[in-house]
Amino acid sequence: MRIIVLLICFCFSISAYTQDYKFGKISKEELQEKYNPLDSTANATYLYKNRKTSFEYIQGDGFHQVTEVHERIKIYNQEGFDYASKSIYLYKSGGVNEKFTGLKAYTYNIINEKIEEDKLGKEGIFESEMHKYSNQIKFTMPNIKPGSVIEYKYRIDSPFYWNVNDYIFQHDIPIKKLEAKFEAPEYFKFKVNTKGFLAVTSKNEIKRDKITFTNKSRSNGFTGPVETTYNSSDVEFNKNISNYNLNNISALKEEPYVNNIDNYRSSVKYELSYTKFPNSLLKLYSTTWEDVVKAIYDSSNFGDELEKTGYYEDEVDAIISNISNPMKRAALIFDFVKSKVKWNGYYGKYANDGVKKAFKDHVGNTAEINLMLTSMLRYAGLSAYPVLISTRDNGVPLFPTREGYNYVISYVKFPEGSILLDATNKYSVPNVLPFRTLNWQGRVIAEQGGSTLIDLYPAEKSENKISMMATLDENGNLEGGYRSVKTNHRALSFREEYIGVDEDDFLEKLENKYGGLEISDYAVENENDLSEPIQESYKFIKESQADIIGDKLYFSPMFFLSTDENPFKLDKREFPVDFGYPSSVSFRIIIKLPEGYKIDSMPEPGAFMMPDNLGLFKYNISGNNKMIQLSIESEINQSIIIPSYYDSLKAYFSKLVEKENEQIVLSRI
Amino acid sequence: MTFKKIVNALILFTALIVTSQENIYTSFSIPSNLKENANAVIRLNNVDIELKSSDDMLITEKRIITILNKQGNRNIDAFVGYDNTTKIKELEVLVYDNFGKEIKKIKKNDFKDVSAVSGGTLYSDSRVKYLDYTPVSYPYTIEFTSVVSSSNTAFIQSFMPLDDYYVSVQNSSYNIIYPENITIRKKEKHLEGLKFEKEEKQGKLFYKVENLEAIKPESYSPLFRDMVPRVLVALNEFSYEGVPSIVENWNDFGKWLYHDLIKDTNDLPESTISMIQNLVKDESNDIEKAKKIYQYVQDKTRYISVQVGIGGWKPFNASEVDELGYGDCKALTNYTMSLLKAVGVKSNYCIVYGGDDIMSLEADFASMQGNHVFLNIPNGEENIWLECTSQKVPFGFIADFTDDRDVLVVTPDGGNIIHTKKYNPEESSQTIKGNCSIDENGTIQVQTTISSKGLQYSDKLRLDSENHRDLDSHYKERWDYINNISINEMHLNNDKNNIEIIEDISFSANNFSKVVGNRMLFVVNTLNRITSIPDRYRNRNAPLKIERGFKDVDEVEIKLPSDYIVEALPKVNLIETKFGSYKSETIKKDENIIIYKREFIVNDGEFPKEDYNKFRDFFKEVSRQDSAKIALIKQ
Repeated sequence: MRIIVLLICFCFSISAYTQDYKFGKISKEELQEKYNPLDSTANATYLYKNRKTSFEYIQGDGFHQVTEVHERIKIYNQEGFDYASKSIYLYKSGGVNEKFTGLKAYTYNIINEKIEEDKLGKEGIFESEMHKYSNQIKFTMPNIKPGSVIEYKYRIDSPFYWNVNDYIFQHDIPIKKLEAKFEAPEYFKFKVNTKGFLAVTSKNEIKRDKITFTNKSRSNGFTGPVETTYNSSDVEFNKNISNYNLNNISALKEEPYVNNIDNYRSSVKYELSYTKFPNSLLKLYSTTWEDVVKAIYDSSNFGDELEKTGYYEDEVDAIISNISNPMKRAALIFDFVKSKVKWNGYYGKYANDGVKKAFKDHVGNTAEINLMLTSMLRYAGLSAYPVLISTRDNGVPLFPTREGYNYVISYVKFPEGSILLDATNKYSVPNVLPFRTLNWQGRVIAEQGGSTLIDLYPAEKSENKISMMATLDENGNLEGGYRSVKTNHRALSFREEYIGVDEDDFLEKLENKYGGLEISDYAVENENDLSEPIQESYKFIKESQADIIGDKLYFSPMFFLSTDENPFKLDKREFPVDFGYPSSVSFRIIIKLPEGYKIDSMPEPGAFMMPDNLGLFKYNISGNNKMIQLSIESEINQSIIIPSYYDSLKAYFSKLVEKENEQIVLSRI
Repeated sequence: MTFKKIVNALILFTALIVTSQENIYTSFSIPSNLKENANAVIRLNNVDIELKSSDDMLITEKRIITILNKQGNRNIDAFVGYDNTTKIKELEVLVYDNFGKEIKKIKKNDFKDVSAVSGGTLYSDSRVKYLDYTPVSYPYTIEFTSVVSSSNTAFIQSFMPLDDYYVSVQNSSYNIIYPENITIRKKEKHLEGLKFEKEEKQGKLFYKVENLEAIKPESYSPLFRDMVPRVLVALNEFSYEGVPSIVENWNDFGKWLYHDLIKDTNDLPESTISMIQNLVKDESNDIEKAKKIYQYVQDKTRYISVQVGIGGWKPFNASEVDELGYGDCKALTNYTMSLLKAVGVKSNYCIVYGGDDIMSLEADFASMQGNHVFLNIPNGEENIWLECTSQKVPFGFIADFTDDRDVLVVTPDGGNIIHTKKYNPEESSQTIKGNCSIDENGTIQVQTTISSKGLQYSDKLRLDSENHRDLDSHYKERWDYINNISINEMHLNNDKNNIEIIEDISFSANNFSKVVGNRMLFVVNTLNRITSIPDRYRNRNAPLKIERGFKDVDEVEIKLPSDYIVEALPKVNLIETKFGSYKSETIKKDENIIIYKREFIVNDGEFPKEDYNKFRDFFKEVSRQDSAKIALIKQ
C-alpha cells in the first residue's frame, strides 16, 4: 500500500513537472484551461514570470545593468484583455538612456484542437517620449480571445547600474510560477530588502567569471611595415547570484481604508551599498539608516540649502526682533513661511530650484519650504530639525533606502515639549499635519547627521462636538438650531473645504448632503484663526422627520444626523484599516415634543466598546412629555486597526448604525 | 474747439485707453455681476483665424484670464496641441499679480511638452505643450498668446465665448479672414436675446460679445453646450491630410468620407471572405447573417485606441483588423462592415457623439463633428444599429451610448442624418418579484427575482462580468439601507436574445424590523427605495431636462411573525405628475401575509425651470412613501 501511495506521489510530481517554460513551448493544457483552479475569480494569470538582472562589462563604458524579462500570461476572459497590452518605462538622464531590445512576442490560441500562433509585429509596438526623464514602450498583442496565452521576452540595457528596479513578486492577478535571478560581480555590494505578506527567500551561490580586455598596439613604421597587434588580458572575479523560485502566488486585492496597498505587495529590492572596483577606492552608497540620512544630509540639495541664511535674514529679523518668547518666535516664522512661499504641488526631500529662488519667486516644493522653515527657526535660536518622511502614496519605508523618503517636514524642541510643522499647507497647525504625511514614522535629522524616529500619527484626537436643539411638530417637521465645534484634523479638512469657496455653493452642497435640509443664519467662527477650533452654526428646517402611523409618531432622535450605513461591508479583511488619526464625535440633542403627545417608548441607554480600548460608544437618553435629551459619544482611539480586530470593528459599526437608528414612539394623549 | 480743449480731450482719451489697458490685469476692475458664481473671468479673448488658402491657416489667440480662486486654475487653458500638420509658431504666457504688475514670463521652451495620450488610448502621435504654473496668491491674471499654423483646414474652431461652468466673460471676439475664392458657412446657436456685435462681408466674419455671466451646473439640466452661445464655422473647400475636398452639406460630407477615407479600407483576404461566407451559408435572411457576423466580430476582436494623424478620421484597413484582432471604433466598425459586405449585406459607417449624455450632430450644418463611429444596417422602417467596440452588448442594442440622437449615416451616395432608436420608459423596465419573511426577532429572509430591460438592462450589464466578491459588495451597496445584510445566493442570467438580465438573489438581515415595546416596526418597501432626492437650488436657472425615462414594477409578499398582527397598514398612494407617476399599496392577503405593490414611472422630457421644484417635490414624496413604515402589534 505504501508503495502505491509513493508511486502515485511520484506520478503526480512527474505530471506536474511536465510544463515546459522554455520560450515558445506552450502546452495545450495551458490553452485549454478555462479558469485558474486556485482562484476562479482571476481574469488572467501569469503562468510564468522570469526576470534576470545582471551586470555586463562594456569596454570603454564600464558596467551596464542588463535585465532580461520573459513572461507568459493566460487570459481567461474579456476582463483580462488589459493584460494583453504592456507598458515599459525607460529612464533617461544627462544624454544617456536605457535601451529596450530583443522584443519577441506571440499570442497563442487553440483553434480546432490546433495551436495557432500570431507574432507581434511592428504595428503593435509604440514608442513615445513621456517627458524629460522617461521614454515609454507600449505593445499590444494580436488576436486576443478569452483563453489566449501570450508570451514575450525582452531586454533592457541600462547604464544606470546603481538603480535596480524592484523585483515585484505579487500582482493584481495570480502567478503560477515565478523565477528570478540577480547576479552581481563582487565589485558591487548590494543590500537585499524583502517586504510583503509572502515569505520570500533566495538560494544564493557564487560563481567565477571573467572580463576579457582587448588592447590594440601599433608598431612604429621605422623598422618595417606598420603592424597592428592585438593582445588580450583576463580579469577574473566572483559573481554573487541569488535565485528565487516561487509557485502559486495569490493575487493582491484592494480593500477600502487601506493606506497604500503597495505596503503589502511582496517584492525584493536591491539597494547598492558600495562599489569597490580593483585599484580604486571604496565608493559608499547607502547601507544603514544612518548612511541614508548622511547621504541625504550631505547632498548639496539638502544640507547646503539648510545652511543658507543670507536671503531671509533681514525679513526674519524684522519679524522677531522684539519677540523673545521662543514659542511666539516659532509661530511667527511658521506663519511667515506659509504666507511667503506657496507649495507648487511637488513632493521632494531635495530642493529643486533652491531655497533662495523659492523665497524670491514665492513658490517651492516640500523640501524648499520646510528646509527654509527649519533654517529660519534655527536662525531664531530654536532647536529645529528637518524630518524625513514618506507620504502615504510613497508607502512605508521599511528598509534603508534614499527612495524610501520623499518629503521633508520640520521638528522643533521646546523645554515644554516638541512640535511637528509643515508649512506647505495653509491651514496646517503645529502637530496637525496634512493627511498625506500621516504615515508611520519620520526620521529627525540631528545637527551631526545622526537621526531618531518620531511618530507621525497624531496622539491627540480630532474632535467633532455637535449640539442640536430642535422642535418636532405633529406633522413630523423639524425646526431648530445646529452647532458644531471641530478640532485638529476635523478643523483642517473643514477649512480646506470651506475657505475660498462660494458660500451659496457650499450651503447647497451641505443642504443636499442632508437630503434637502433648509439652512439659514449660517455662520462660521475662527475660520482664519487657526489656533482656535472651527465653530459652525446654523438654523434649519427639515420636513417629514417622523412617520405618522395611526395616532402615533415614530422617529429616530438623531433624525438626519444618524449614520445609516456600515462603512465596512467585506466579510473578511487582510490588511489594516488606516483612519489616519484618532477621532471622537459627540452629539447633544434636545428635542421639544409636539403638544398633546406623550412618550410611549424610548430606546434604552447603553454603551459598548471594542477590545483593548480601540473604540467606545455611549448612548444616553432621558425625557419627559415635553422634552427629550440625548447624548452620544463615539471614539476611535487608534489611527490604525489591525486585521485581527476587523470583526470587532465591523460589529462596532453595525451596532452603532443600529443604535443611532432606534426609534422613539409618541402617542396622542 | 480751443487748443486747450483739444489737448484736454486727447489727454482724457489717452488716459482712458491707458487705464482700460491696465485695468484688465487686475481683479479690481471686474464688474460685480461677472464675479458671481465665477472661479475665473475671461477678461479678453481674441481669436483671429487667417485663412491664406484652403490648406494654409494661421490662428492667433490672445487670452487674458483672471483666476479668482484655486478652483479657477483649471480654466487657465494655456495649452496647444501639435503634430506633423499643426505647428506652434509662438507661445508665451505673462503672469500678473492682483495689482496688475507683471510677475513672471513663461516662454515657449518653458512649457511642459508631453505626448497627448489621454486615458484609454494606447498611442497617439500628437503632442501637447502646456503651462505648469503654481499661483502665489489669488486673484492673479494670465495673459496667454499663441500663434499656430496648420495645413489642415477641415476643422475650424467655433466661437464659444463661455467655455465652462463657473467662468464669466468680459470681452470675447472671433474674427476669421479668408480669400475670395473660399466660401465659408456658419451656424449660430443660442444667440437669441444676446447682445453682440457682428460683421459679415465677403472675406470676413467677426463676432464680439461682452459681459456674459458665469453659469453654475445644476442637475437635471440640458448639456452645457446646449445652453451657451456658439457659432460653428466650416469651409466649403478644405484640406485634410493634404487632400483637398469640397463639402457644402451632409450629403457631400458623407461622399467625401466614403470615397476619400473609407472605401479603400474595405479590403479582406480571400480566405477570410470564404470563411465568413461559409459561416453564414445556412442563414437565409440578412438579419440572421448579420447576427452571426456580429457575434464573430465580438469573439474575435477587442477595442484598442490608437490615434495616428490629427483627430485620426481614417479607419485602419479591414485586413489589418483581420490579422491583429484589435482596433479602435473606426477600425472595428469598418471591419464589421467589410465582413457584412462579403456576404452581401449592406451596412453603413456612422458618425456620432457617443456617450451617456444625449448629444446630436447639427442636422443642418455639415462639419467635422462627433467623437465615435458605429454601424447601421438599413432594415425597412426600422434601422439596426451595431456598437462594434463592445464584446458584451447584444445585437442591435444601443441604450446609454448612441441612443436617441441625430447621427450621420455614410453611404456611397452621400451622407444622411438619421435619428437613432429611443428607449421609451415602458421598454426600460425593471420588474421585481419578491418573497420575504420576518421572524419575531426582527430577522428578515428575502428571496427575489429582478428582471431588467432596455436602459435598465444596460445599467446592469457590467454585473455580468463581476467576480463573486465585487458582486457581493454591489448588492450590499444596492440595499445599503438594510444594516447587517448578508447575501446568501446570487445568480445572474444575461439573456442576450431577449435582451433581458434576470437576477436571482436571496439575502437575510437581522434586526431588520425594530421592536418597540409591544410593537414591531419596519419599512414595508424592502427592495426598491428611492433614498436620494434631486438637489435643491436656492435659485434654479436651467430648464429641467430628464434625458431618459424608466419604469419600475414591484410586487413583494411579506410573511409576518406569527405572534404579531397588523396594527395599521400604510394608505394607498397615487401620485400623478407630468414627470411621471407613482402608485403603492399594501394589501392584507391573510392574517399573516401582506402584499406590497409599487409602480414608479419617470418620463423623459424637457420642462421650463419653474417646474424644477415640482419635479423635486415628486421625488420627495416618492422617497417619503418609499420609507413608510408599517406597525405590527403583539397578540
